[in-house]
This record gives sequence, C-alpha cells and structure tokens, in this order.
Amino acid sequence: MILGFMFKSDPIDGRDYQISALVVFLSLGIWWRDWTFDLLTLPCLLLTCLVTQWLWSVSEEFNWKSPTITSLSLALLLRSNNLVVFVLAGVLAISSKFIFQSKGKHWFNPANFGIVCVLALTKDAWLSPGQWGTDVWLVLIFLAMGGMILEKVGRLDTSFTFFMVYGALVLARDVYLGWTLDVFFHQMMNGSLLLFALFMITDPRSIPNNQQMRMLWSALVALVGFVMQFVFYNSSGIFYALFLLSPLTIYLDRLVKDSQFTWQKTYKLVPILAK
Amino acid sequence: MAHLLWNICRILLITCWGWLNFAPPVFAFCGFYVAKADASLFNQASQVIIARNENRTILTMANDFKGDVKEFAIVVPVPTVIKKEQVKVGNSKILERLDAFTAPRLVEYFDGDPCAPVLLERALPSAASIENKAGARSKADALGVTIEEKFTVGEYDILILSARESSGLETWLNQNGYKIPKGAREVLRPYIRDNMKFFVAKVNLQELEKSDSQFLRPLLIAYESPKFMLPIRLGMVNANGDQDLIVYLLSPNGQMEVTNYRTVKIPTDSEIPLYIKNDFANFYKAMFQNSYNKEGQNVAFVEYAWDMGSCDPCSAEPLNQQELKDAGVFWNPNQVFVTRLHVRYNRNKFPEDLKFRETNNKNLFQGRYVLNHPFKGTIGCKEKNSYEKMVRERQEREIQNLARLTNWDINEIRKKALLTQFKPSGNRPFWETIWK
Repeated sequence: MILGFMFKSDPIDGRDYQISALVVFLSLGIWWRDWTFDLLTLPCLLLTCLVTQWLWSVSEEFNWKSPTITSLSLALLLRSNNLVVFVLAGVLAISSKFIFQSKGKHWFNPANFGIVCVLALTKDAWLSPGQWGTDVWLVLIFLAMGGMILEKVGRLDTSFTFFMVYGALVLARDVYLGWTLDVFFHQMMNGSLLLFALFMITDPRSIPNNQQMRMLWSALVALVGFVMQFVFYNSSGIFYALFLLSPLTIYLDRLVKDSQFTWQKTYKLVPILAK
Repeated sequence: MAHLLWNICRILLITCWGWLNFAPPVFAFCGFYVAKADASLFNQASQVIIARNENRTILTMANDFKGDVKEFAIVVPVPTVIKKEQVKVGNSKILERLDAFTAPRLVEYFDGDPCAPVLLERALPSAASIENKAGARSKADALGVTIEEKFTVGEYDILILSARESSGLETWLNQNGYKIPKGAREVLRPYIRDNMKFFVAKVNLQELEKSDSQFLRPLLIAYESPKFMLPIRLGMVNANGDQDLIVYLLSPNGQMEVTNYRTVKIPTDSEIPLYIKNDFANFYKAMFQNSYNKEGQNVAFVEYAWDMGSCDPCSAEPLNQQELKDAGVFWNPNQVFVTRLHVRYNRNKFPEDLKFRETNNKNLFQGRYVLNHPFKGTIGCKEKNSYEKMVRERQEREIQNLARLTNWDINEIRKKALLTQFKPSGNRPFWETIWK
C-alpha cells in the first residue's frame, strides 16, 4: 500500500536518459526512416570520441557519458560518405571541450562544433534537414523524451524559449506573407528542428547558468537561426546560429553569476510503501 | 549457394519510360494554366530541369501542352526580374533524353547451364551497393502591377510582372485575357509579399508559324538567387487531385535533396516474376503508388542519382556535352551529377513549396528491377536437382517481392506467374529430354 511520496536522490543522471533517447532516435532513423546509414559510422564515432576524451583527460576521471552523447548526436545529424569525416568531426568535437573552455564551461556545444567545422573544412559532409519528415506522432515521441530528459537536467526553459521565439518569428513571417496555418505547422514540426531544440541547445555545459540569461541567449539563437534560414536561405541556419552564439555563454556567465549545473543533483519522486 | 548455380549469359535492358504516360501530360508544375478556355485547365504531370551551381540556376520548363496553342499561357513565380537575355527556348528532345537516361529500368538475366563452369560475377552490380509597356502601363500602374520586362523569345511572348497586391495582379491578368482560376488570389499574395516576380508566357502565333517547330519548345530561364525552390503551390489552384512532378536536378558535386520534405529512395534491385516484362508500366505505377502510400504521401522519391559521365547499365546513351549544355549545364560538362526526383503532391500533404539543397553525396542510385530467366536447355549433371530447387525458391521469392512492392493479390500473381515460369524438368514428358 502506498502511504505517500517522497523525494529521493536519483542514481541515474540525465545523461543516461539522454543516451537512451538518442539511441532510440538513431534506431528509428535507420530502420523506420530508411536512412542510408553506414553501420560502421556509429562504432567509428564512438571509438573516436571515447579515445579523444581519454587522451585529453589523463589527469582527471574518465567520463564516458559525454563523448557517447556527442558521438550519438553526430551520428544523428551529420552525413558523409567518408568515415574520415566522422573521425575528424569526433576529434574536433571532443577536443573543443578541452581547448575552448573556461571554469568548467564549454565555449561551444561539442557536436555542433564538430559539425560546423567539417562542413567548413571538408567537401564530403552535409546535413539533411528533411531526413525526419514531419510526422506528428514522431514529434510527440521527441517531445516526450526530450521533456523527460530536460526535466532531469532542469533546462526545459532553453527549449521552450527557442520554440516560442523561433515559432513567433516563423508565424509572423507566414502571416505577413499570407500563408495558411498548415504551412506554419509544417515548418515547425520538422524533426531536425525539434531534435536541435530539445537536445542540442540544452547542453548545460555550453549554455548560461542563470535562467534569465539562458532564455535571452536561447532567444538570440532562435533569432539568428531564423535570419539565416529565411533571409539567407541557409537550410542549416540554426546550426550556424548556435555556433556563432555559443561563446556568448562565457560572457553572460560573467555578467550574471549563478550556480553551475551538476549532473548528479537530480531527485525523483518515489512512493512510500507500507511495510 | 544460389549464385553458384546460375550463370549469366547475357543481359537485356528494357528501359521503360513509357510508364510516364499514365498521368495526363500537362505543363503546369509551379504555375497555373491561364488558358482562355476552361476545358484545358487540367494539370497533372510535369517535368522540369534545374541546373544549379552555387547561386546560379538555369530552370528548364518542359512544354507538353496538348491543347490548342492559342490557349496556352502560364504564370510562374520567379525570384528575380528576368531580362530577355536570360530566357531562351530549348530543344524539346532534351527532356526526352534525360527521361530516357534516368528512367527506372527493368533488367533481364538469363541463367546459364548449371553444369557449365561457374561465372561468379553478375554482369550487373547492384546499384544500391555501388559506392562510390504606355497606355497599358498606366493601367497596370493603377492596379499596382508593374511590367518589369516585355519581350518575345522564340514562339513565346513573355512578360515579367511585379505586383503590390494579389487582387491587382489578378485583375490585371483577367483584363489582359489571362483566365485566372478561382482561389488564385490567396496563393499569389505570398509570392508578391516575398518580393518574387511573375514570369508570364503565352504563344506568339506569328512567331510559331515562322519557326520550323510544330510544337511548343521548352523554356529556359537563367537567374542568380540564393532561393533554391520550386513554387508548387500555385499549380495546385487549378489541379484536380494528385499531381506528378519529375525534377531533374543537375549539379557539379553530388545528390540534391529536398530540405522540407523527406527524400526517399524508390524500392530497387528487386527480383520480380518474368511476366512483368510485358506489364512493366503497370508494375511501376502500382509500385510507385504503394510506396507513396506507405511513406505517408508526403515525400520526394529519388528514382536516379548518378554521375552523368557514366551509367551501369545504360538505359540510353549518356548525354553528350552539347546535350548537357542544352539541359542548362553552364559549368564543366565533365562534372555533372544528376538526381531525378519524382514528387506526387496535393494540397493537403504539401502545404509548402519544395525547397532543395545540394549535398556532397556521390552515392550512385537507380530504380532497377530484375527478371531472371531459368535455363531452358537440358541439364545433364548432378547439379540438376539443386538448380531446380534454387529456381523454384527464387520464383517464389519473386512472387512475394511483387506482392509486397505493388500490394497486388498474391494469388492473382501466382496465376499469372505460372504462364512463363520455369517448370522443373522432372514434370516434363520423358520424350522431351530424350530426343533433344
């Protein structure tokens, strides 16, 4: 019999949920969305990211979760016919955490850094913004899983602000142009956009600590992303926006001091059972 | 192993682009007909070539208008003002050539004598696995319509219009003899607000009489703009039901894909029963419809993606440098990658215009379906039983493949498949094998 509920320290941190969710998405993409995906890509990315992390963290405790998340994100978003591109993206992504960092905060989101660098440096990489389509139920899975993870890490405000600002800008454009609402919904239900908003701009290590600063920063990413996408017609605009605005996090953290995020600080509600 | 038993003696290629005939051939992919008679307002299939390198585009609009040429007129939104030098009439053959070269293909294999030395290689590699103007002007002004350019190219009289309001543009077009379908105003507005111009073409009968051509030639438009899209919404105004659009995208680097809808490969490399040889058009139509339904009716299908310098197998001679130039290629013609996309769209499933992007993906792909002819001679060795078993299993697999791909009734397929299927020699009258 359940007597009541209590908060209990949760031994599983948000990153475990994040890894599970990314694995589910990758499986959905490969088997249900029929992506042309070389199955060697994932082990290659995992190995690259883990080894790079290990090489950089000789003097400190080895953390396998963060490079695993980065490799899964790269596998989900980056496309190439050449494994060397994935290796390069992995090395650059993980190394960016150690090279461009101050006081435990990263200047860039690792996966985003890796993606933007290989897009700029190689002629063998691309993104497929249309790869998920706009199926509604898929959107629901995204939202449910993303929300679950974000609640674990306390960064739901970032995604929410991004959606609100980006959505408002897209809606304003559509209303001005005279498109019907279904055009707006079609634009907002893009799987890649959701994945970006729920998983990429919510990495606590590369976003501002203070909630208001975080929301301001997220709104800026949405604004720059919108301009790149709809004014400069760059279909990967949001990724470039994040790349450009990530270093602003360091400045915003100095401007407004707040406690830094730690992964272990999570609690879950558990029932108190009669004995 | 099955491949040890069947040798390939020769390959016949039957490329079937005739399947395209299933949809009424009309020209109105991204604009609408503004014919002067309602009878010909009917648009369901169209072909377009987009040759693009960086921000430079040459758009070729195929013209297979079948009505009275006097009735022909079209309105297409374009990203910039187009001057006379930017428009050219093309060669009608070029669409046929590209179509033939990139069409989904049926290939035939003939089993060799299972007793003869084994050839391990199939002659055809699996495609999917291969890597690697003054009065008139003032009236127009009053309606907020500006005639930016007015010129004649070949048999076409062309106007480039810009407008302030969709109602003004609609009124102007109606006053000038272009019959605008109902509901056009709402769809014209977003293009006007997005600062797009309108390419309006109709046939100049005197020029047409002067030319040797008996039919309307394709129109090529060259422009420079970061917008890489096809405005399909306008074409939906006077469309009844689904429309088919074939887009041939030519790029210097790799495959092109749609960014705001999924780009999906058409099922390929399936072995199907022999009787399909005489029914390929129906097979492809059914398979396309079935795939379209399965994918949620809102995807763009890749039917072919290949480097223009080669083909394997070739369904038609590769396009020569002049033909590529005719198709709009303005860069090094030795470096052209073609992507053939087939989009079946309607208002409900395609609310947004098609947006594209180039990728560096050089993977080769073709829609390819395989027929296997069993060996017809006498098999006089111990491999006979295992070969016959392999053929029966393969034929069963072919029937199941066909049922799965087309959603046709498997029992019906079995009935038809029996007509041409291999009969194991054990069931044959004994004299057939004695006196051969």
